[in-house]
Amino acid sequence: MGNGKKLMKRLLRSVRQKSANADPQGQDPNPPTELSANLDENVRMIQSIYEDCSDVIFHDFFIGGQTRAVLVYIEGLTHIEEVDRHVLAPLQQHFALEPELPNIRKAIAVSSIKELKSTTDIVEQLSGGNPILFVEGEKQGLSVGLPMWEKRAIEEPSAESVLRGPREGFIESLRSNTALLRRKIKSPNLKIKAMNIGVYSGTKIAVAYIEGIAAPALVEEMMSRLRRIDIDGVLESVYIEELIEDNPTSPFPQLLSTERPDVASAYLLEGHVVVLVDGTPSVLVAPVTFISLLQSPEDYYERYVVGTAIRWLRYLFFGISLLGPSFYVAVITYHQEMIPTPLLLTMAKSREQVPFPALVEALLMESMFEALREAGARLPKQIGTAVSIVGALVIGQAAIAAGIVSAPMVMVVAITGIASFMAPRFTVGIAIRLLRFPMMLLAGFLGFLGLILGIIVILNHLLSLRSFGVPYMSPLAPFKSRDLRDVLARAPRWMLNTRPHLTGKWNPYRQAPGQRPGPAKGDEGG
Amino acid sequence: MDATKRKAVFALFFLSVHALCLTGCWDRTEVNDLAIITAAGLDLTEDQQLELSVKIYLTSSSSTPQMGGFSSPNSGGAGLSVVRSATGLTVADAASKLQQLISRKVFWGQDEVFIFGERLSRQGFVEPIEFLMRHPGPRERSNVFVSKGMAKDVLQLAPPIERSIADSLRKMAKLQTGLNITMKELAQMMGGKAKAAVLPMVEIKPREASQDAFAFINGSAVLKNGKMVGRMNKVATRGLMWLRDEIEYGTVTVSPENAGGNVSFQLRRSHTKLVPHIRGDDWSIEVRVETWDDIVENATDLDLSVPKHIEQLRTALEADIRQRTEMALAQAQKEWNADVFQFADAFYRKYPKEWNRNKDRWDAIFPKVKVRVEARSVISRPGLIGKSPLIPNQR
Repeated sequence: MGNGKKLMKRLLRSVRQKSANADPQGQDPNPPTELSANLDENVRMIQSIYEDCSDVIFHDFFIGGQTRAVLVYIEGLTHIEEVDRHVLAPLQQHFALEPELPNIRKAIAVSSIKELKSTTDIVEQLSGGNPILFVEGEKQGLSVGLPMWEKRAIEEPSAESVLRGPREGFIESLRSNTALLRRKIKSPNLKIKAMNIGVYSGTKIAVAYIEGIAAPALVEEMMSRLRRIDIDGVLESVYIEELIEDNPTSPFPQLLSTERPDVASAYLLEGHVVVLVDGTPSVLVAPVTFISLLQSPEDYYERYVVGTAIRWLRYLFFGISLLGPSFYVAVITYHQEMIPTPLLLTMAKSREQVPFPALVEALLMESMFEALREAGARLPKQIGTAVSIVGALVIGQAAIAAGIVSAPMVMVVAITGIASFMAPRFTVGIAIRLLRFPMMLLAGFLGFLGLILGIIVILNHLLSLRSFGVPYMSPLAPFKSRDLRDVLARAPRWMLNTRPHLTGKWNPYRQAPGQRPGPAKGDEGG
Repeated sequence: MDATKRKAVFALFFLSVHALCLTGCWDRTEVNDLAIITAAGLDLTEDQQLELSVKIYLTSSSSTPQMGGFSSPNSGGAGLSVVRSATGLTVADAASKLQQLISRKVFWGQDEVFIFGERLSRQGFVEPIEFLMRHPGPRERSNVFVSKGMAKDVLQLAPPIERSIADSLRKMAKLQTGLNITMKELAQMMGGKAKAAVLPMVEIKPREASQDAFAFINGSAVLKNGKMVGRMNKVATRGLMWLRDEIEYGTVTVSPENAGGNVSFQLRRSHTKLVPHIRGDDWSIEVRVETWDDIVENATDLDLSVPKHIEQLRTALEADIRQRTEMALAQAQKEWNADVFQFADAFYRKYPKEWNRNKDRWDAIFPKVKVRVEARSVISRPGLIGKSPLIPNQR
């Protein structure tokens, strides 16, 4: 015991020392420097920063034919025709004033112009696509807001398509994405805070929330978690997600990622915080509950009866996708008396030739299915169909004919596969698909006992999870009966008067009560 | 969580996962290793031993060739079962000997039918029932029958319509044309206050020129103290079912007076209530039968659109029900002194004290219990036609 403690202390100490040695600030490659009045010196400074960067262009010219100036920009990030027309043309050809900074500003017909003093700011503006103008004798550089780069058109996100509802999706450009949000929520209370994360990538991050709906503590928590991040680059929002979630070892996602502005707006209106990352169309929503991960935007765009029915169908198939094969394995190896006689006789018949135990059979088919799915997902569309035909038809059929697997097992695997694709969020679907394997092993070793053990462990885990302080299983646990109308059913819009309890308590009412429509009453002025 | 703690937790988790595997699936039985019993029969051999016969469903020997692995639709038909028998001192003994004859594990979980041979029934089958109730394998919801002759012979039959003899018997019982008694109900009856029970009787219709032999339910066996004491015919069994409130479907045909033909009723709903009375030493029971019927056939000269005639038919129907039930009553009370109607429970429920004082004398009381059958029927519908256009001269 004593030895163990000593060992622990020593280990602890060494860990602490290691973390002290790592210098969190040591990675900044460009320490800030002030600009000078000497143009050549300034240009040399920028040139040294952008040494060996062939895409950085330095353009020398004379303002009004006398004062030397240099325009620096990164090729491909700047709208060069606009620069020619609105910066170079007025300065070179028609400039008759004193070549001072205020006069130059007046001459340039561009709405966004900033004066910059330090190289850090200049580098930031340059990499943002804004050309920088240096003028002889000026201690400041002018950043001209004319960025432009190739971007995708706004189109429907293929992973989250709906039959009814907006067909626009986020794209890779942060500014387009914030604009999409702003177009949906026009109130100035929609706040979009910006920050840069990534020492090398300098990725722009925007945190959007609605002031007055989102709890200030939640926004503050999100900002502080984001500020804590020290990473070389952010290439996708999942980089952020993994660094800010509550339980990083859980298979379940604790932030929702969506490519749909309408989904993000709906969450904003419920008091959630949305994190947008430049360079990726998927934005993060926090906090999120397990139930909301099982909901699709379409639930709210269909009539509520349909929405409720589909929601229940989804719950049912969620259960099937987790327990389907393990239930089958448990029943067929341990609890044969539970199967209706005619069904058991048929299953026994089809299993007669199969050499493997049901567990091995299930593992074989399930991993085969996962392999097929993965192969199909990575291949170009044309070859993907070929793979699915070969996989599903040929292998499935041939495996049964060869007596390696039984027909009921193929059916179970197929149903489970379809069920797992019913999860509206891919991240949840894949978590469930993974958990299926330990469940199968448990069912194979211990039958229903193992199945129940597995369910208890998963439930316990889900109940202990939190997403930004909100219990993952709310409103089921902690129980909130008022919120159940959006869980067990999709209540009609005129009944959804309140925001979800845990994110919306800051501003609980989303609409005036008593809006149930009906025909005009005869005596009320008709 | 620091590194050592994490390592320790991981090691613990790793070990416990492996401990799970140590159980090594000890309870695991693949379906391929099971001999699935669909029906079982018990007989008494000449040397007073129990003979246990089981019908095993053959999963492997499908005579039809497999089509691409999927068993072809008609391969689930008849002729895919085999009967094996073993004898022993007790059922458990016979069952263990039976296991020695079969390469696969005997699986009782899907056994839907138990048949007791008539000889064993006459000798008494308290002991087999004990086994079947105590052993966790056999289902309590399986149907029980008594066979005229050997139970084994019934098992040997291969009915052409159903998958197995078990299915065939079970469905016949379910149709409620005869009794439908499960193992649990039998045990309840045998261990109940009346100590009497009834079971459907299975009979084999022997092979005739154009048709194979087949089994059908014909009448019922009456048991007293775990022994078969007699047999009720079909008509009396119907009366018995009226009294036990078990009748569900049926067609009753009566011939009303001065009507010159028969009328058939189809039973829609029926309800029987037993109302016991004790007046001093005078035990009596009032049986209230209520039925709702439709007329499905009318061969009399009565015009059914006349309410008076409906009234007449109603009286005739009530008289018929009374007569049927009284026939069953007479047999049970006088011939076998077996309270198969569970009158004892009715008395106990209403007069628990009197019952407890007299429970040892029930055998003496039961034959003397006065039974008054009060039938009340409602003729709901005279059918699709009123006055029959086919029979002339209807009144």
